[in-house]
Amino acid sequence: MTLAEIWSYDFMRHALISAAILGPTCALLGVFVTLRGMAFFSDSLAHSAVTGVALGFLLQEKTGLGIDPMLVVLVFSVALASLMAWLFHRTSLRPDTVIAFSFTGSVALGVVIIAWLEQYRLLDGILFGSIYANGPGDILRQSILAVIVLGFLLLQMRPLTLSTLHPELARTRGIRTGLLNYIFAILIAATVVVSLRMLGALLLSALIVIPAAAAKLVSGSFAAMLLVSAAIGLVVPFAGVVASCQLDLPTGPTIVLANVAALILCYAGKLLVTRTQTEPQP
Amino acid sequence: MTRPTPDPTAPGGRTLVRLRDLGVRYGTSWALRDFDLDIDRGDIVAVIGPNGGGKSTLLKTILGLVPPSAGSVAFPAGPLRLGYVPQHLAYDTSFPLTVGEFLTVNHPGRSLWFGGTGRRQRNEITGTLERLAIAGLLGQTLGTLSGGQFQRVLVAAALLQQPDLLLLDEPSSSVDRRGSDDLRGILGELHRATSLAVLFVSHDLHFVSHLATKVCCLNQTCCAVGDPATVLNEHLLERTYGTAPYRWRSFEPAAAS
Repeated sequence: MTLAEIWSYDFMRHALISAAILGPTCALLGVFVTLRGMAFFSDSLAHSAVTGVALGFLLQEKTGLGIDPMLVVLVFSVALASLMAWLFHRTSLRPDTVIAFSFTGSVALGVVIIAWLEQYRLLDGILFGSIYANGPGDILRQSILAVIVLGFLLLQMRPLTLSTLHPELARTRGIRTGLLNYIFAILIAATVVVSLRMLGALLLSALIVIPAAAAKLVSGSFAAMLLVSAAIGLVVPFAGVVASCQLDLPTGPTIVLANVAALILCYAGKLLVTRTQTEPQP
Repeated sequence: MTRPTPDPTAPGGRTLVRLRDLGVRYGTSWALRDFDLDIDRGDIVAVIGPNGGGKSTLLKTILGLVPPSAGSVAFPAGPLRLGYVPQHLAYDTSFPLTVGEFLTVNHPGRSLWFGGTGRRQRNEITGTLERLAIAGLLGQTLGTLSGGQFQRVLVAAALLQQPDLLLLDEPSSSVDRRGSDDLRGILGELHRATSLAVLFVSHDLHFVSHLATKVCCLNQTCCAVGDPATVLNEHLLERTYGTAPYRWRSFEPAAAS
């Protein structure tokens, strides 16, 4: 199947547009997520979406109010992200401890609600996602998210970078690190929720973490890391969607495997360059 | 007609920072109490004392990172621009931030994106690096710097704030003797050229004796304040550190450096 043929199908076109919007957005946010050691924070938010979806379904079923379940997921994830950020900031609990109990507690609550509702089919969609279910409304949501995330990163690049490197130094420069951390946590939550349909809760953090990790391996400056991460975030999910279509493979896992391949390539490239540079000259 | 004596505490006067009855408490224990100190324009004040004596807490209180539990921190000459050089910059050394990028994100000027730094900001950054003799480090990542180079980069970042008062936490602790001497030379030269007020905490009495114009001995409260020749003696050091007579015989006046 040629690219033109792939593009001619609505669901494929929507999937490719989603990949092109969300890939670089997640990858740029991922640069700060990885440098701040928050990879498991984003992972736990993705998994806690199980509870958000279950709560959304519960409200829809029991109240008949016609509330959009994705809105409930967004509110739940933002609330959980704010709670975790507050616990990081205000208590002596270690971040990994906070993440562990928030993650397991929220997933357990979600599974209990799903079992109570006897809607086990919900789990499949949440955990693995379905990029082909994207419609124009999803693309609009994803575009709004991308504008907000990129705008925030552009406007707050300096404070965010300095507070990532050394929060105390940032505070002496008048940066409100607490507020910045809250906003950043909320943006991660919003990104996770909006991207959920693309990869699902199990695989989503790959879209955030892997491009940044690969970029870090080959970048000699922070600006280069941002650019390489965004480039990987744009090209790899796009290639993953096309490859899954050509090879008849599940799309979400193919995108993740393409990201892992990019990471391995970057590592191999780095090893090759290092070996060439350290080889004794004849 | 006699001219009125200028009030050193008036706006624009000599006194930059006035600490009175300052106390800082963490939980139920006092890190600092009943502490008085004036920092004037052109002063190089060294704060010495044992571990846990409240030295870093004092810096953080002046910086506004820790609120005072008692007493006051006043800036009689008006709001100050502070430059801070932390003791340790514990960071991920694989973070590929170059010296140029680090200084750009530290620059007080506004820019949406550090790739779009204005010419004036770039000139200030390169000028500061040249002044500290580290212009060649601009493109190097922070993780590849030696302790002495990194210390100078931190000083450069603080100087970019165009500070009225430069605060340094243990500036000589992560460098060898040569690095310490180099740093002392740089700070001394800056002081001579700009009359910049400096407040630093240190355990290194050699560094203190060669740089400071005023020494404050701190062990939760102020044990002594004065010029180095007066304060750096075995009796006062023993009182400050609370140990057996401190073997300190190598005092040389700051003028010698």
